[in-house]
Amino acid sequence: MIDVSHISKRFGSMTALDDISLTVPRGSVLGLLGHNGAGKTTLVSILSTLSRPTSGRARVAGLDVVTRGEQVRRLIGLTGQYAAVDETLPGRHNLILIARLLGATRAEAAARADELLALFDLTDAGHRNAKNYSGGMRRRLDLAASLVGRPEVIFLDEPTTGLDPAARRQLWEIVERLVKDGTTVLLTTQYLEEADYLADSITVLAAGRIIASGTAAELKERVGRRSVSVTLRRAEDRARTVEALRRAALAPSHEEDGLLLTIPVADSTDVAVVVRAVDEAGTDIAGLAFSEPTLDDVYMALNHPTTTDSEAGTSS
Amino acid sequence: MSIATERPNPPEADPAAAAGPPRERQRFSGSGPLRQIQVLSGRSLRALREPALVLPGVLEPILMLTVFSQVFRSVSQAQSFPAGVSYIDYLLPAFLITSAVSAGLKSGVALTTELNNGIISRFKSMPIHTGTILIGRSVADTVLNAVNMVVMLVAGALVFGFDPEGGILGSLGALLVAVVLGWSLGWVFMALSAWLRKPEAMQPVGGMVNMVLLFASNAFVPTDGLPSWLRAFAEVNPMSHAITAARSLALGEPRPGTVLMTLGICTVMVAVIAPLAIRNFRKAS
Ligand SMILES: Nc1ncnc2c1ncn2[C@@H]1O[C@H](COP(=O)(O)OP(=O)(O)O)[C@@H](O)[C@H]1O
Ligand SMILES: [Mg+2]
Repeated sequence: MIDVSHISKRFGSMTALDDISLTVPRGSVLGLLGHNGAGKTTLVSILSTLSRPTSGRARVAGLDVVTRGEQVRRLIGLTGQYAAVDETLPGRHNLILIARLLGATRAEAAARADELLALFDLTDAGHRNAKNYSGGMRRRLDLAASLVGRPEVIFLDEPTTGLDPAARRQLWEIVERLVKDGTTVLLTTQYLEEADYLADSITVLAAGRIIASGTAAELKERVGRRSVSVTLRRAEDRARTVEALRRAALAPSHEEDGLLLTIPVADSTDVAVVVRAVDEAGTDIAGLAFSEPTLDDVYMALNHPTTTDSEAGTSS
Repeated sequence: MSIATERPNPPEADPAAAAGPPRERQRFSGSGPLRQIQVLSGRSLRALREPALVLPGVLEPILMLTVFSQVFRSVSQAQSFPAGVSYIDYLLPAFLITSAVSAGLKSGVALTTELNNGIISRFKSMPIHTGTILIGRSVADTVLNAVNMVVMLVAGALVFGFDPEGGILGSLGALLVAVVLGWSLGWVFMALSAWLRKPEAMQPVGGMVNMVLLFASNAFVPTDGLPSWLRAFAEVNPMSHAITAARSLALGEPRPGTVLMTLGICTVMVAVIAPLAIRNFRKAS
């Protein structure tokens, strides 16, 4: 459905995208994972016809995004990185406006708006001005606006950045529902967890290049597993604790004289195993935490320098 | 349609479907440019229903009018001032014109804001004509501008004793000149905005153009009183023509030549600048 072939994009001497190729089959979700400045928005802009590639070709539903932009725009929905809602209008009117622009009659537009407000849990807020919405509500309204025309393909640029966990969950569920309807989704994110949850396949972007791609499982295989970290109170407890953990078929590691034990685990249910082992050893602990691999772990595992600053991310 | 009921195959085994026509979806039929202009200008005009958004636009000129009519009253005693004309009658037509310039600047700044908050990206990713985004804004801002000016005229007559020789008809003529000037300057500032894109660039450049148009003109004092180099510029400034035209209509000594010239200049400016603005605006980065 989306077919990107050797796309490069330069801004002056700066290379934002360097020879990017990828495909997204119809009805599937591609997660484009990368830090600030990796080039995610640049690629989304090209695919949604807002920007032209310096070289290479990209097609959506077989239509070239440069030469057939007009037709491409009939098929796509874009939810940009910054919620694009008219703050002076109530949420409902934002949706009606989009529907009217797409050719709906007043009645059709109102019906479609109400349908989407219900779907996005915004019915009660529909009559309030969008400027009074919370971040999560604004994102939902923005996503709803990009769905008014029932697009075949939808681009979501960092849909959950800045949202609290509950609002993020809610958005994830909406995206899942879209996918069930057969919509093709290209989603960008800085969270491995999000790409893992939503995407059928993941492409990792760093400084404009693809540094890895595959399924979430393949990627996590390369990144290493999740881990539990246990902080001990006393160094004397260490040997005993390590012993107990080994008996539970775990493989703890620690620094020479450190109080921190890192225990790779398969998933969060193994936390209980760790707790039991520590308890069995009678160890007094100062802290215990479960951690998912992060994007930083991905970059590290792929031997790629980590940068979180968009300026620093530009060099290639 | 039978095709609508078919579920997509699992993505991996889908090469045939991917090459075929898109799955049938209930889709809106698309809209023509007139509908787009109507909807987009309606969007901006909704502001009229919200007092918080309209009041500043109305109060600002009234406030300015108060200040100017007090501070510059002394000018009407100056030698170069036309005899037998009250200062408010002389000032208000010029005021219509200067607020037209501010209105034009506001169009440009508002466009810059929207260029950067994502809403323009949304419109540009939709199947609509890009030019209608600018035309819709121009229509809405022109209507808003006309409404503001009617308020100014009424306030001028009721509160400040505006009562020019030209009467209601002459005042409306002045208003028409001001609205047309605002319309054309709106395009100038939107073109600047489409070219500069960033608010950091638009603020100073727009402000500077605004300043030059306003103060190197006969808006506040007759040009005879200006130093000669400034007078030379004031005399070619389109603002000066517009002010002369508006004043002549309001003061009941119409100068059809100047009026027509002003309207002509404005129309030509839009004819030249609007396509440039739209082209710049449409251009994919
Ligand atoms: N219009 C532009 N002009 C110059 N540089 C740009 C422009 N847009 C993006 N860039 C640069 O391209 C790189 C990739 O940006 P972007 O695609 O926004 O990254 P991401 O969305 O992954 O954070 C960044 O270094 C950014 O500074
Ligand atoms: Mg981005």
